[in-house]
Parts: sequence; C-alpha cells; structure tokens
Amino acid sequence: MSLDAYLIDGTPYYRPVANEVDLFAAAYDARMPVMLKGPTGCGKTRFVEHMAARLKKPLITVACHEDMTASDLVGRFLLDADGTVWHDGPLTLAVRHGGICYLDEIVEARQDTTVVIHPLTDERRLLPLEKKNELVPAHPDFQLVISYNPGYQSVVKDLKESTKQRFAALDFTYPDPDAEAEIVARESGVDTALADTLVAIAGRSRNLKGHGLSEGASTRTLIQAGRLAGRGVPLAEACRATMILPITDDPDLRGALTETVAACIG
Amino acid sequence: MDPIGDRAGRRDRRLAAFDRISGPTWTAVYRQFSGPDLESWTDQFDRLCATSGPTMATAYVHASLTCARHVSPAAALMLGTRALFLCQPDSSDLARLLLVQSTKAVPKLEMPGDFTEWLGAVDALVSADASLLRPVLDRMEGLLSTVDAKGFAAWVSAGLVSTRGRTAYFQLSIPHARRVLDQEAGQGGLDAASGAIKAFATALWRVEPALRPVAAPADLHTPRRPAFDGAVFWLPDSFGGFSADEERLLYFAAVAHMGAHLTFSGTRFAVGSLRPLQVALVSLIEDARVETLAARRYPGLARLWRRFHDARPEGPNIADGLMARLARALIDPDFDDPSPWVQKGVDLFQERQGNLEDPSLSREIGGMLGNDLGQMRVQFNPKTYVVQPPYRDDGNGLWDFGDPPTDAAAPQEEILLSVRLTQKEETGGKDRNDTAPEEGEETAPVRPVEPDPDTGIPVARYPEWDRRAERLRPDWTTVLEYGFRPASAGVIDAILARYRDTRARVAALVDRARVSRPVRQRRQPEGDRLDIDACIRAVIDRRAGAEPDRRVYEVTARLHRDLSVLLLLDISESTKDTIAGTMESVFSIERAAAALLADAMSAIGDPFALRAFCSDGREDVRIYRVKDFDMPFAAVSRARLAALKPGLSTRLGAALRYAGAEIAARPTHRRLILLVTDGEPSDVDAPDPHYLVEDARKAVQEIARLGVDVFCVGLTGAGESQLNRIFGRRNILHIDRVAALPDVLPKLYFRLTT
Repeated sequence: MSLDAYLIDGTPYYRPVANEVDLFAAAYDARMPVMLKGPTGCGKTRFVEHMAARLKKPLITVACHEDMTASDLVGRFLLDADGTVWHDGPLTLAVRHGGICYLDEIVEARQDTTVVIHPLTDERRLLPLEKKNELVPAHPDFQLVISYNPGYQSVVKDLKESTKQRFAALDFTYPDPDAEAEIVARESGVDTALADTLVAIAGRSRNLKGHGLSEGASTRTLIQAGRLAGRGVPLAEACRATMILPITDDPDLRGALTETVAACIG
Repeated sequence: MDPIGDRAGRRDRRLAAFDRISGPTWTAVYRQFSGPDLESWTDQFDRLCATSGPTMATAYVHASLTCARHVSPAAALMLGTRALFLCQPDSSDLARLLLVQSTKAVPKLEMPGDFTEWLGAVDALVSADASLLRPVLDRMEGLLSTVDAKGFAAWVSAGLVSTRGRTAYFQLSIPHARRVLDQEAGQGGLDAASGAIKAFATALWRVEPALRPVAAPADLHTPRRPAFDGAVFWLPDSFGGFSADEERLLYFAAVAHMGAHLTFSGTRFAVGSLRPLQVALVSLIEDARVETLAARRYPGLARLWRRFHDARPEGPNIADGLMARLARALIDPDFDDPSPWVQKGVDLFQERQGNLEDPSLSREIGGMLGNDLGQMRVQFNPKTYVVQPPYRDDGNGLWDFGDPPTDAAAPQEEILLSVRLTQKEETGGKDRNDTAPEEGEETAPVRPVEPDPDTGIPVARYPEWDRRAERLRPDWTTVLEYGFRPASAGVIDAILARYRDTRARVAALVDRARVSRPVRQRRQPEGDRLDIDACIRAVIDRRAGAEPDRRVYEVTARLHRDLSVLLLLDISESTKDTIAGTMESVFSIERAAAALLADAMSAIGDPFALRAFCSDGREDVRIYRVKDFDMPFAAVSRARLAALKPGLSTRLGAALRYAGAEIAARPTHRRLILLVTDGEPSDVDAPDPHYLVEDARKAVQEIARLGVDVFCVGLTGAGESQLNRIFGRRNILHIDRVAALPDVLPKLYFRLTT
C-alpha cells in the first residue's frame, strides 16, 4: 500500500523564526522523534506540513482527544462477512509504509494511550500490535512528531516523564512583530500597515496572559482578523469577532480588549 | 352629624386660618387646594398652629405650597401628616425641620413616583428611630443632588439594615456611608469598571495597577480626580454628571493616562521653590507630553482622550479656563484658540516635537508659561483649582514634595480593601516599585502567620442581598479567618472510636464506591476489542439468516469519582442546646458526624475541605479552616476540629459565598457544598427575620450559577420552612432525631455523590 494520498501538494508557506527548519531536517535525518512546543496558533502544524513537503514524505496527522484509546492509534479487529479482519490505525499505517506521523495536542490523549509510542521512539523502532500478535518494524522513512501546548497543561494533563524524554523539542513562540506582520500580510492579503496594527493589538492582548487570559491572541487569530477586514468588515469588528470573543467570555476582559483594540487603531 | 353645623365649623376654621396669614398667601393656598383638599389643608394648618407657634405655621404654609406646586396637592397633604406626626407638644423642631428641608427637596422630586419613594424613606427612618431623621434632613439638599429619589431610598434602607453605627452612617461620618451613596449615585461606576480597566492598563502598559477609591472629600460638591503613586491608582467611586457609558470611558481614559505617566514620565520633578501655578502648569505640559507619546504608540488613545476636552476657545482670562483651553489645544490639532498665551504654549510644544522623550521640557515650558500668566496678572487659586478634564490625575504623582507622605495611619478600611484587591490578583505585582500603601498587600495571599484565634484576618468581602431595596449591596460583609486554640487530636480519635459500629457500616459504603475501578462494558457499537461472545452470536445469527447485532465490541472504562466537597458546619450559639433525652449538645453531635464523614471521605480519596462558621455582625463573619483540600485528615485537622467552640450567630449568606468562591476554583467535574445547620440564619445586626433568609437564598442561586451544588442538612426541625425557601425542597434533608446524624450524614454523602 502506498501513502501517496498523504503527500502534501506544493510547499505550504512557512516563515522561519529561528533555525527550526535546519534542526528539524537534522532530526529527520537521524529519524529522531520531535516534539513541537508552543502556544496555540503560532504555526506548529503549518511547520510540520512545510517540512513534510520539503522532505517529500507523506504526513499522517492525528488530532488527539481525551476519549482516544490505543486502538484508535494502532488499529483493531473489525467484523466482516467472513469473520474478523484487522484494520491498521493511522500510527501503524505510517510505521508500516514510511511516513511522518504527527500526533497533534498529544496531552489531550490519556496517558495509558500515549505509552504505545514508547517502543517506536527508542532504539527498537518497532510497534507491537498486541492483539494481532505482531511486531511491526518501522519503515526507514518513518518519523514521529508530536505537538504539545504547555499553556493548558495541568496536573491531570501532562506527559509522563518517560514519554517526554524520548523527544527532541523545538520551542515555538509568536514571531517578533515585523516577522509576524509579514506572515499576517502574506496569509491574509492585507497591507503591511494593517498587519502592523493587528500585530500591535495581539501584543497587547498577550500582555494579559496570566492576568485573566490563559493565552493571548495567536498569529492564527490575526490572520483571521485580516481575512475578515480584507472582505470589507470594519477593522474593530473584525478584531472583536476573531481576537476577543473567541478567547474570553469574561465581560471585564472583553471590555478591556475592546478598548485596547480602539486604542491601537489610528 | 349635623351638616349645617359642620359646614359652619368649616367656615370658621377657614376664617381663622385666613386671619392668621396674609391675603396673597391665602389666595395661593386657595388656588392650589380646592374641595376636600382645602378642607384637609385647613385642618392640618389648625392642628399645627395649635401644637406649636407661628413659625410652624409659616413653615407649613411655605412647604405645602412648594410641594403642591412641584409635586401635587395630595403630596403636600401627605407631607403635612408626617409633620403632624412628628409634632410633639414639647418639641416641634423635627417637624419644622422636615417642612423647611422639604422645600429644598421637592424640586428634585418632580418625576412620578419620586415623592412617594422619598417619603417612604423618611417614614422608614421615623419608624426605625426618629432621631436618625435629623442628620438626614440637615443634608437633604446635598444628598438629593448626589442621588435621585430611588437612590436616596436605597441609601436609607442600607443604613437601616444594620442596627450598629446608624447615627454615624446617617451623619455621613463613616466612609462606608459615603461609599454606598456613591454606589447609588454612579450605579457603582468604579466597581463595575474596575476589572476591565485593570486589564486595560495591563494590556497597554504592562503594569498591574492596584485600584483604590479616592478618599471622600469633606463636602458633597468638590469634584474628585484620579491620582497615582507608582502602580497604585486612586479613582473616584463615580464621576458625577456623566452617563453610565461616558463614565466607563472616563475610567478607561484615566488609567490610560496614568499608565502613560508610568511609562513616559520618569523620575519625579522636585518641587523646590516652584509656585503652585508653575507646578500646575508643568503638570499640564507633562500630561500633554506623555499623551502625545502614548498616542504615537496607540493612536486610538488620542480619540479617547479628546472626547473629554470640552474647553471652548472663549471666555474670560481666568487661570482655570485658560489652562483647560491650553490642555485641549496641546492634544487637539483641530482646536484653534485666540488667546496668545495658549498659542505660545502650543508653539513651544510643537517646536519640541522631535524631542518629546525628554521630561525636562515640561519643566521648561511650564515654567515659562507660568511666568507669562503671572505677568498677565491672571488670578490663580491653588485651593479651588481642579485639573481638567476629569480623566486627568491631580498631578501629585509627578512631584517630589520633599518628605514622603505619611500613610502610617491608614485606616482599617483601606487595609481591608487592599486585601480584597490582592485576592483577585493571580500574581503579585512585579512592576511595583512602590513603598508606603502596600503594607496591607502582603497579608492575604501568602498568609505567613497562622490567623489569630481572637481577632482573625480579613480575607474577603462579599455583597449581600437587601430584600427591601431589591439590590445587591456590594462589599457588605467581611469574612475573617480565625485561628485555633491548641486542642488535642485525641478528642476526635476518641469520637471515632466511640462510633465504631457506624464507622464499620460506612467503611462498607466506602468500599463499594472505591475510585478508578476498571469496568468492562460489553456489546458496544464501538470499542477496542471484539467481544467474543457477541461475535459468535452475530455470526450464528447471520448464518441462520437473521439480522446480526452489530454491537460486537467491548471497552474497558474506568469509573472516576471526580468531585470536591466542602463541608460547612454551622457552629452558632444555638448549637450549644442539648438534645432532648440525651446529655449531648447539637454541636457535639455535629462534630462527631463531621469527623465520621471526613474519615470516610479521606478513605475514599475524594478531595474535601472542612470549614466552620459563625458571625458577629456583618463586619465579622468568622470562618475556621479546619481542613483544606490538600491536607490529610490527620493530627493537625483533627486537633482543629477538636478546638472548635460554638458561639455567636449565623450569617449564612456570607459563609456560603465564601465557601462557593473557594470550591468554585477546584478543577473537578463536580463540586458540592454540604452544609450542616441547626436552623435559620440570624445575626445581631439584622433585625428583619426575612432579610438574611433572602440573602442566603440569593447566595445559593449565585453559587449554583458557578456550577456548585449546595445541599443542606437541617437539624432539630427548627426554621424548616425558611431553610426550604433558601435551598429548595429537593436540596435539603431535615433530621428530627439529631443523635442519628453521624449515621445519616455519610450515607447521605454517598447517595449524593454516586
């Protein structure tokens, strides 16, 4: 079976912030598992897509959730007309046929689920399928990438120490203002001046992190604001719809952010 | 009755009245009052004249005419009946004061319903204690220019809620009275805006200001201005004369302005030998300088600030007016002022546009303009000068006056307030470079010392529902945490030993509810594994030609007990009562039940906290933290439970709000407050029996909105209907046989939580 359907068309836009592209390429070369850390909407997923396209490898993405069990990753028996058939899960698919498996927001999954990746992420590089009684050695092209947002990390939802230490980590933050404005302008099609204003607003909103907001407005929300503004929505309303209402329900913070947006718009 | 005699008597009385007052006045009376109204008027006039002298007659005539003109003749007569009621043969002062002051009040009571509202408040005062009326009447004009009739009535009822310190309240000599008045006046302007403006300052300027209300001025008229000292921002409780929306924007403008000072103003100017006028002008230029710099970064701020500059380019050459015009001209390029002095200020300021980062230019330009103003012989009175527009701070935060301000005598109020403020903050202020008024801040979040068993440490203020005024009184109750006297944990161990049988029964319940038991769920439509039995059945069905059941999977699920519990014990005086037929008090049974339940909860691993409460007036609601969520139920908490002593009253609402705020922060799926009480709420300063009931009911509703369940166990059957009203019938269990509580409580707990 070929994973061609998982190859990425073209090379998605990604603007490097530091040396993350080289680091990732080196890690892939060593087939070392990589952990992407950073706040939501700062470009982690885009980065993985970009790297998969650059390396010309298929990318299998799994969005993790709290009901996810090990079977959802490795596969399970299904019943058909003639009896039982085994069906590979997304992780097994990538392991067998060679691809980058990206587990998005891994902390959302239960801890007993995440331990299935342990044999894959050390020297053994193999995946035991316990129910099928099979050991799947990893394809030479296989690599595991996980993303991990320390922002909403709580005691209940954290990676096991034994899981964490298997990965090389890349730390993502929001780009510096000029770079961020460049990204916002490129992705949403607004002019540089408007992008600068949006970035200024986001900077103020990030000042409130830990002062009522668990996370400030991300680059993603800026691009969305820019997209709305580019379609004729007044800037203040576009900001409200994408950068205020989604991130807080607290009337005080909404009031403060609304005035902050007004203060930043000339 | 004899109609003719009656009519004759009526005429006589009118004639008598006519004789006593002048012709034109009588005509006025005759025009305002007619038919039965005139009859009643004459009657009231007669009786007032009979009990006291001619001054009373004059006061009555004047007051009734004013009142009839502004409100209605009927209202004037209602006022008359109050005067008559107050008119004692030996003292008619109060009646006359009421009449005289009412003439100042009624012009402000012209809206329908206002007069009734006002008179109702006067009645309430009289029926509570007539002596309270005098200070209120003395201040009537000022009061009604601050608040409307509804606000006045609410302010009066707030003062009457408590039986303590009433006189001082109505004399406005305690800050609390002034604060309530401000809240009524500005719909709680600062309170409503404080959360938002604080976040606004943090977002724009990365400071986390501590907000304080500006101390009340001696009179009711002087406008108050914001002030700052480092990251401590003082703001008026309300800005009079602005609509609610405008006022909200003023607060935003004020914190943006003070934040700009913190960011751009640098070190304080030394006052040295500067005259007051120069100080004011340097402050004014400095204001414009930081606002211009701030607007370069945040262009929208200029718009926010400009809307409050309403100076007009005209008017006499007085210092205050000229300065307001200069202030506007400096930040509003569209403002054109004919005054050469203003123009010079603008030109000097414009010349320095390239070098605005340098604070010394304010000193320089301000000094020059001050000299010019002096040569123009323009009068400046530093005592009456108020900085314009209202969002700007008083300027004192910019100056070094030589010796530091003495805040040593900060009143208790102030310290309590800072406690309340820091409680809301998640982290300590890292940007503070400040000294004096911060002392109170240290106490609340870290609590370096154990609270004192005798005085307690104030930890929070909560609102209270005033059922008469139908509004929430902000910051009405103060909750203090009290420490414990040393006691032996052995007392509790002994209790647990004594209830050995009960404990064994509870242990069986614990076993059944044990946490995280994996449970195999078969015949599921989705799952990790095939359920072999279901598969075989499905295949048989298919071969037999029947429709197979597609639920052929099985999953392993874990049953989590994801809940936190706060057990709240009422330890008021009434729990000292002994239970009929036994030697034991309600309190000792309550404590035993609490110990057994705590024992069960720690065996099962549910996080729980144990609090006891009583109260002594609204300023002293006592909380005893017997056990915290993250503490084991071991020696320390057992000793504390043993140290509890019953006494005082039951201010239930405040205790519930405290418990609600605490448990709402728990990260568990379910949160439960379990209250054990022996009767309805009561307190020494709340004479109205329904007042605290309604407040507690409100508190339960508030807590429910936080996603917290409240369940009450009522003992002895006292106040059953009141407790039903507070908690709702489904959320309460009445126990008549109190001795059974240790048995019932753990059982109830498991029923509630599984």
